[in-house]
Amino acid sequence: MSPVSYIDPGSGSLFLQALAGGVAALGVTTKLYWRRIKRVLHIGKTEDESAPS
Amino acid sequence: MDAPTVASGLEPGSFRDPDSRVFTTDGRVLRLLSEQGLADWRELSASGLVDELVGEGRLVGTREVEEEAALGEAIHGGVAGVLEHDVIPFVSYPYEWTFSMLRDAALLQLGLLRRALDQGLILKDSTPYNVQFRGAEPVFIDVGSFEKQREGEPWAGYRQFCMLFLNPLLLQAWKEVPFQPWLRGSLDGISPQELRNLLSFRDRFRRGSFTHVFMHARLEGRHDDRDEDAKGELRKAGFKRELIVANVKGLERLIGRLSWAPAQSTWSDYRLDTTYSGEDAERKARFVREAVESEGPSLVWDIGCNEGVHSRIAAETADYVVAMDADPLVADRLYRTLREEKQDKILPLTLNIVDPPPGLGWRGAERRPLSERGRPDLTLCLALIHHVSIAGNVPVAEFLDWLRATTRSVVIEFVSPEDPMAGRLLARKRPNDHPDYRADWFERCLNERFDVVRSETLAGGRRTLHLARART
Repeated sequence: MSPVSYIDPGSGSLFLQALAGGVAALGVTTKLYWRRIKRVLHIGKTEDESAPS
Repeated sequence: MDAPTVASGLEPGSFRDPDSRVFTTDGRVLRLLSEQGLADWRELSASGLVDELVGEGRLVGTREVEEEAALGEAIHGGVAGVLEHDVIPFVSYPYEWTFSMLRDAALLQLGLLRRALDQGLILKDSTPYNVQFRGAEPVFIDVGSFEKQREGEPWAGYRQFCMLFLNPLLLQAWKEVPFQPWLRGSLDGISPQELRNLLSFRDRFRRGSFTHVFMHARLEGRHDDRDEDAKGELRKAGFKRELIVANVKGLERLIGRLSWAPAQSTWSDYRLDTTYSGEDAERKARFVREAVESEGPSLVWDIGCNEGVHSRIAAETADYVVAMDADPLVADRLYRTLREEKQDKILPLTLNIVDPPPGLGWRGAERRPLSERGRPDLTLCLALIHHVSIAGNVPVAEFLDWLRATTRSVVIEFVSPEDPMAGRLLARKRPNDHPDYRADWFERCLNERFDVVRSETLAGGRRTLHLARART
């Protein structure tokens, strides 16, 4: 994963921030999980996600 | 070729951030910056935020200085710039702070973060070790924490914020478990999974619990061993700065409402319970005032300060007073009163002098022992020795040895075994457990180690005050 700081931010803690923003975060959370569902079901374009970042 | 060694003067606790290291020389506090660190400082400085925050007392006074870069080794890649900070009179750590102190430090951290975000900046870490107290006023000291925020990136310091600020506060507010021993036990703090394991079913329904503790613990358990690009995924899902702001505001509301208010503790009603008459209390206050005036101390320690009556007297003349009490509730009440008064000369701390804070962290030097953070010129040990010696089992002679090594002068009160307060403690012990707890033995030990300047007897002979100077 690409670093964001000299301290370990923790992947789980980063993902949580998509939830912790309250109502404002709903869109991001939905999108985050929708992308994951699509990936699991192999729906739609997935090339950009499988490319190394 | 010799391996490069760490230059003396480098602050042993500031090695974590590769872009910024603190260096002390001749009583000055300097911050050495890398190329990147200097760029971040210039960004911050240009934003106008430094002047604003320093003016409000929230950020330590800081200026760029021209210094010889004799410390090139201190920063990998070389020192690109040097800052000078105002000196904090006495360094303290979160495991010595009371509940309200950690709470106010957390609110300071969040407030700074929110204002940094408004300027397109962020704080790259979130540790209470970046906050110090000037008296009862919290002040942020790590200017090196500010950096440019990259759009679409989450807050890297959120986990650290939870472990070192939020979770300790929740532990104490919800479970009535003091956080200080936990923070002293681990400089990383309390993880979401650890806190979750301590919470009950009912706690799940408390405000903030579901998101910051239960979901956080769950996501941490699920993701932290996976090698995945969380940042990339979040950016693609449209993560933006507003979400950090919303999270920070939520945390400010949550922490702002937290309180720890047990009805009473062992010492919280000491004044109501004390054996002193009004006249004796006045004579004691006068003795302390005269001692402070004659010794002219810069730094005073008041061990067992209780409500801080004598700390306040000392602060009339001394430059700075560290007021310590082992009872966290007593110290917390004192802090809240001092904070309301905007008192910047008395630093309240909660610690037990029989088990004082040791050196902690890497090399045992990252966080310094209490005794290495500034030698007191005068130490007040009022109504203390019976606790140290009877309750704490420290022999009278050893306590005085320690005092002589620690302080230049002392005001020490001997509470005779016949005094009700000492008697209460002695009654819990076997009859011969404290053969050294006698006025004649105490005075002999004191005279061997100190030059006694003057003494005064109070409470019908049951208590004696001594002003004494340590023999060198």
